[in-house]
Amino acid sequence: MPRAVRGLLIECDPSIKSMILKYDEERHDYIVEDLDDENHLVIKESQLQNLKVRLDQDLDEKIMQLDESESE
Amino acid sequence: MAASTSRPLEYLEGLPGTTFYKLYQQPSTALAIFRRMLPDLAKCFVMALLYLKDPLPTADLELWVRSESKKQRDNAISILARLHILSKTRTGDNVLAYMVTNPFASSLRQALVGSEDSQSFGVFSQISGESQVSIADLDDYARQQWEGVMGYMVGTSAFSGQRELNLSKGVKQLLQAGHLVEIRGSRVDITKDGFGFVLQDVNTQVWHILILYVESAEAIGMDSVEVLSFLFLLSSLELGQSYEKKHLTSNQLRTLADLADFGIVYQDTPEATRFYPTRLATTLTSDSSALNNPITGSLTGPAGDSGGSGSGFIIVETNYRLYAYTSSPLQISLISLFTNLKYRFPNLVTGKITRQSVRRAIEIGITAEQIISYLHSHAHPQLRKHNAGHATSNTGGIPPSVLPPTVTDQIRLWQLERDRLRATAGFLFKDFTSLAEYQSPCQYAAEIGVLVWKSDKKRMFFVTRHEQVAAFLRSRNQQ
Repeated sequence: MPRAVRGLLIECDPSIKSMILKYDEERHDYIVEDLDDENHLVIKESQLQNLKVRLDQDLDEKIMQLDESESE
Repeated sequence: MAASTSRPLEYLEGLPGTTFYKLYQQPSTALAIFRRMLPDLAKCFVMALLYLKDPLPTADLELWVRSESKKQRDNAISILARLHILSKTRTGDNVLAYMVTNPFASSLRQALVGSEDSQSFGVFSQISGESQVSIADLDDYARQQWEGVMGYMVGTSAFSGQRELNLSKGVKQLLQAGHLVEIRGSRVDITKDGFGFVLQDVNTQVWHILILYVESAEAIGMDSVEVLSFLFLLSSLELGQSYEKKHLTSNQLRTLADLADFGIVYQDTPEATRFYPTRLATTLTSDSSALNNPITGSLTGPAGDSGGSGSGFIIVETNYRLYAYTSSPLQISLISLFTNLKYRFPNLVTGKITRQSVRRAIEIGITAEQIISYLHSHAHPQLRKHNAGHATSNTGGIPPSVLPPTVTDQIRLWQLERDRLRATAGFLFKDFTSLAEYQSPCQYAAEIGVLVWKSDKKRMFFVTRHEQVAAFLRSRNQQ
C-alpha cells in the first residue's frame, strides 16, 4: 500500500548532502528519507532553519577565506 | 510614463467603481488623476471628448491615431477604462461610441474653468506678511523629516553623534504595518522590502507611504475615499503658500497631522490655523519632472538631477574599495549596511566591500541585486565617464557596466554561497508494490504540475500538494 510522508525535499551538492548525512548519524533527527541519488533527500520540515545555521557555521570554519585579510 | 507612477496607478485600478464615483466628485482629484496618471495620448482623448455633447463613435476616435500606433492607442484607452474615465455607450443610431464618464467629466470641467464656491483646491490663508514660511525653510523641513524617517528605518541612530529625530508613533506603526521595518522591543530592523524602499527615488517612496497610509486609514475607521481625495487635494496646492485649516473635516485634520510627521505638509504647531504643503506634496501629481527633487539633489551632490548621471557620489574600485563623497548620515548608514567602513572625513567616507560585510547584509534580507542597483544608481560621474570610455573599445555584446564587473560578480557569488540548498515543502509518496502501481499516479502528478522529483528505480516521487494525488490513488483502489 503506497504511503505519503510530509517533508522538505532538499536539493544540494553532494558535499552538502554528505554533511547532512553526517549530522543525521548523531541522533537521526533530520532525515525522513535518503533518496539514494547524489543530490536529493527529504528532511523534516521543522529542521530546516537549524540545518541551515549548522551548515553555515561548519562551512565558515572549513572553507578557507582569502579576502578576510584586511590589509589597507 | 515614469516608473514612479505605476504604484499609485496599480493601487487605484484595484479600487471598486463606486470608490471612483465618490473620488471624482472632487475637481482636484479629477485634475490630479488627469495630470499624473494618464499617458499623453489618453490626455488628448480626454480633452477632445470632454466638451463634446454627444458620445463619439469608436470608429471616429480610432481614425485619430495612425494605424502603426495602434498599441499606444489601445493602451491609452485601456488605462482610461480601468480608471473609469472613459466608457462605451451607444449613440442614437446604435453605433458604439466613447464618452467621458460623468462625475469625472463635470469635475474636470470645473477644475479647468473654475467655479464659484469649490474648496476643492484648498483655501488660501489670508494672513500674510513676515510670518510666512519661505520655500527654502519648507524644503529644509521636508528634507529633515523625510531623512529622519529613512534614517529611522536604516538605523542611523547607531551612528554616534547624529541627532535622532523624534518620530511619532503613527509613523513607526505605519512603517511596521507596511512591512518596511520590524520592531523588536527597542530594536528596529529594516526588512527586505524596506531596503528596496529606501533605494527608490523620493517620489516613489512618498507614494508608497501614502498608499500604505490610505490602506491603514480604513483599519482605524477613516474613510479611505476621504483620505485619498485629500491627498489629491494636497498635491494640487501651491508651494510656498499657506492654506486655511478651518474648512477641513476632522478626518482630514487627522491626516494632516500624520502627514506633517513625514514632512509632506508643514504647520507651525499642531494647533495652528493654517498649513503649508512642502515640495513632497506638490510634486506628487505634477507631471513636469517631479523627479527633479531638491531632496535627493541635496543629498547626492550639486547636480540636482536624482537618478541621473550627474548625481552619483560613490566610487567603487576593482579592489573592492569604496569611496563615497557624502556627509549625509542617511547615505552613510545605507552604505554601511553592506560595506566595512574604515575612515570618515568631512565630505568622504571610505571602506571596503568584503565577504563578511556582504554576508551580513544578506543575512538581514538584503539581496545582492539590491546592493548592486544601489551602487549603480549612485555611481560617481567619474566612474561613469571612465567606463563609458572603455566601452567603445570593448564591445563584447555585454552592455558596459558602470561598476567594476569583478565586484558585482563577486557580490552575486557571495550571495550564492548562502544558498547551498534548495528546499521544497511537500509530500513523498513511497512504498508502491509494483512499477505499474507507481507509474500512473506519478504521471498524474506530473500532469497536474505538482511533481518535483521522482525515481523510477525506488518507486518514489515527491509532490508539492498531495490532495489530488491521494484522491487519484483512492479512486484507483476502488476500481
